[in-house]
Amino acid sequence: MHISDGILSAPVLTAGFIGTVALAAYTLRQLDLDDIPKVSVITSVFFVASLIHVPIGPSSVHLILGGLVGVVLGMRAFPAIMLGIILQTILFGHGGVTVIGVNTMMLGGGGLVAYGVWQLRHRFNIKKKEMLFGGLAGASAIFFSGIVLALALVTTGEEFIATAGYTLIAHIPVIIIEALIVGACAAFLAKVKPDALAGQLPTSAAPAVEPTTDSRNEKPPR
Amino acid sequence: MPLDIDRFAKRASPLQRWDPRIKLFTLGIFVFSVALLKTLPIACIALALAISILRLSNLPYDFVASSVKWVIFFLLPFFIIMPLSYPGEAAFYVIGLPFAWEGLQLATLIFIKAVAIILTTFSMFGTSRFDVSMIALQHLKCPKILVQMLLFTYRYTFVFIDEMRRMQVAMRARGFVMKSDLNTMQVMGNFVGTLLVRSFERSERVYKAMLSKGYQGELHSMVRFKSERQDFIKSALVLTTAIIMLSLDFSGLFLPAKQGWF
Repeated sequence: MHISDGILSAPVLTAGFIGTVALAAYTLRQLDLDDIPKVSVITSVFFVASLIHVPIGPSSVHLILGGLVGVVLGMRAFPAIMLGIILQTILFGHGGVTVIGVNTMMLGGGGLVAYGVWQLRHRFNIKKKEMLFGGLAGASAIFFSGIVLALALVTTGEEFIATAGYTLIAHIPVIIIEALIVGACAAFLAKVKPDALAGQLPTSAAPAVEPTTDSRNEKPPR
Repeated sequence: MPLDIDRFAKRASPLQRWDPRIKLFTLGIFVFSVALLKTLPIACIALALAISILRLSNLPYDFVASSVKWVIFFLLPFFIIMPLSYPGEAAFYVIGLPFAWEGLQLATLIFIKAVAIILTTFSMFGTSRFDVSMIALQHLKCPKILVQMLLFTYRYTFVFIDEMRRMQVAMRARGFVMKSDLNTMQVMGNFVGTLLVRSFERSERVYKAMLSKGYQGELHSMVRFKSERQDFIKSALVLTTAIIMLSLDFSGLFLPAKQGWF
């Protein structure tokens, strides 16, 4: 899901680039040396996964997984999504060079929103909260992207208001599918490899950690 | 969709011989000036220029068309939505909906600009090896960390596409068929999760292998750039046309008059 070249006005394009550069500078500074290969390798998985098409009725949509990037990478989701968008521009010409800024704000911002929603799970103590909050994160990412897209269209000119409305409606099935898939995936990761998820509290693995800390405390006999 | 954009980078042409640094810089500015155009005649000239630059690059027609057709496909809805939703006077009514010529004009402008830009993107990145383009970007003051990550991501994309195809074959062999139901969504969620877990483990191995080869955050490249007078002449030609295009566009000579197309 992105906007193509040649539609938006210069101020909107510029705003997109300024926002992207600011957020990218902030999030890239938090990367460590070992994050560089890791974030890039995981970005390529998302890039590949976005080639998967899921059928809805007679048609099909491709996965976006902006929410899942937030759930897995946390704040690093923003540079990851930016990489994905730049690659898509270079390889397919989808989107375009001039809209890299707007598209990154749209999808990368969605990834950050998803991370925020995902972090809320610590406040609740319910069963299957990974699935629930993963689903919410997946949905909120697409929802946010849809809103930004509509705003970018509307600020370009009033002749795009109807188009913005149609794009928002077209997002509804995508939101549902993303919610289901990201929820299932978050639940799967929580079971199989919990440390792959972003923002895991050390306390969530408390039963596994406790005995080792105990034995470690006992080791130095003073 | 071809993923290896640099498949035909070895063909001989003025664009392949162009110093990648100067090529990316010049065509990048050209792309931005096309995006700023507001009038239809100038946009048509820009499209003609983009096509002739692409013809110079000697890239095969099918290769470009396979990507461009998708962009055209995504832009087609504009031809229906824009004329029917344009605010203002309607020329006539289609099944009760007002049809405005200005809307069709706007849709055509968007379409022409978008096609011109995607064709130029092919001339930019299809005519040198991907890694050479990336190193050239680094010379153009693109952040080092970004260039490295782009190179890694590009390289591992092919690995994971193979991995995904293997997993899809395995799923089909076990009789899985994609439907639009909850079960499919659950299975696809797990599919993506498995892909992620595998990539996590692979990324750890990759990082260790890199450390053992002395990786310290720097990327050393054997690529050396050399710019000659010809490179600058090509660049000056394109940049002058871009400036002329923009000034003609802003001069108001071709501003969309209310009554006609020009």
